[in-house]
Amino acid sequence: MTGNPSASAGSRFYELVHILTLRNLKVRYRGSVLGIYWSLLNPIIMTAVYSVIFSATFQRYYQGSALRYALAVFIGLVAVNFFSAATTSALPALVSGGLLLNKIKLPPVIFPLSMIAAQSFQLIVGIVPALAIITVLISRTPYHVLLLLLPITALIILTTGVAFFVSSLYVFFRDIPYLYELVTFLLWLTVPIFYPVAIIPEQVRAFLWINPLYPVIESLRQIALERATPDFLLMGIAALEAIVVLALGWLVFAANRRKFMDFV
Amino acid sequence: MPDPVVTVNGVSLERWMRDEYAYDLKNQIFSILEGRHQKQTRKAVLSDIDLEIARGEKVGLIGANGAGKSTLLKTICGILYPTSGEVSVTGNIVPLLELGAGFDPELPVIENIILYGVLLGSSRKAMIEKVPAVLQFAELQNYGSVPVKVLSSGMAARLGFAIATDVRPDILILDEVLSIGDEHFKQKCRRRLDQFWHEHVTVIVVSHELEFIRQACDRAIWLENGRIAYDGPARETVGRYLATIERQAMEAIASLR
Repeated sequence: MTGNPSASAGSRFYELVHILTLRNLKVRYRGSVLGIYWSLLNPIIMTAVYSVIFSATFQRYYQGSALRYALAVFIGLVAVNFFSAATTSALPALVSGGLLLNKIKLPPVIFPLSMIAAQSFQLIVGIVPALAIITVLISRTPYHVLLLLLPITALIILTTGVAFFVSSLYVFFRDIPYLYELVTFLLWLTVPIFYPVAIIPEQVRAFLWINPLYPVIESLRQIALERATPDFLLMGIAALEAIVVLALGWLVFAANRRKFMDFV
Repeated sequence: MPDPVVTVNGVSLERWMRDEYAYDLKNQIFSILEGRHQKQTRKAVLSDIDLEIARGEKVGLIGANGAGKSTLLKTICGILYPTSGEVSVTGNIVPLLELGAGFDPELPVIENIILYGVLLGSSRKAMIEKVPAVLQFAELQNYGSVPVKVLSSGMAARLGFAIATDVRPDILILDEVLSIGDEHFKQKCRRRLDQFWHEHVTVIVVSHELEFIRQACDRAIWLENGRIAYDGPARETVGRYLATIERQAMEAIASLR
């Protein structure tokens, strides 16, 4: 079924994801490369607002430093923003690709996947350099920059899993976006982003681990802000939770794959 | 049959009925709670289809609306999976279904040529090389960097035809697309299709223009309620189909009296 019979299924799949990712990026930025750096504007403004309001109260939990509080907030925000923006853009991807799926034989997964790929490109080009600069300046341990890639990878895997799940649900239930908005808000609130973990009651703290964004963000903060060797167990938990979410998301997607065509 | 390129073996296909479906999680949950939940039903669209198509054959599909013609095409293309039975195809299929579905209105014409070409099975590299030829055939050389939304519907259809037919197919699928643009462009399309007709390309075409099927196809398959009602030389199939329609019309008139 390929134009070039010698092309393998793998290269066909790559071509499709690549061209759709390019399309998604082009539609978003209309040729202006600097557009990617706009994605930094939102977390910077939010960080400034949180700092003004909360840093006087919370900085004692951050070695008494307003800067450390601000950076911890910034790191939390960029991770959570990536997660919500990427999953929200992938949510309608199968349905909006439905017209094409009905005309040409295409693997349905390329539609949510290319949305995640476009958002990940933006993360890697726009956000990761900012995190790398913070890491070099604050942790003063240059090899920590490489370690950043571990929780970033876990974050992308986790996001992909959720994208598979929500994009397949949306095929059958078009009121999912309202519900999902609530879910992302809950996830956002239950990760310590602008408040320290220490203010959460002991009994409740264990529940933080249910939110798979928590180990990712804590890991990023340790690597970027601490001089000490980061906790590899924490990174392992982040990776494990991400892989479990990806596997579950894919199971739901694969189980419904053939049914999509009758509903999109 | 010597050298079949398409084999459809005992294919039946059921589709989920979506016209009664609410697409709404809230309502579904409420209806389950209130005990008035209705299970989704499936409807048979194709039943027990057997056919083989040889290399280079030109086959027409005819039948009433809802008889399953487009569903059969989609099953042969691999877009829909049969509920039971098997479809096997050798060679690359290019569907020339409603043109322009692959376009992104915001992106320039050149980007869309590459996008659509890759979706249809080419590589990005190959499509970049083909851009000038496609623009020339569609007579849109001066519109390369214009967003597709600015094009008239006729121009967009020309572009779609130019891209889809630029990929060299082994099997070409046509679903009622033979009237594009003005008389001048129609002639051009016909010439390009004629070329496929002569060059051992297998063609499967759905059309309500029975005269076209009778003249252009070697063979015609008449579908009725998802089953093959007749499969034979185009002239004969079209003749039987017309005779049945006439008889049904007469009976309908008679029953009114």
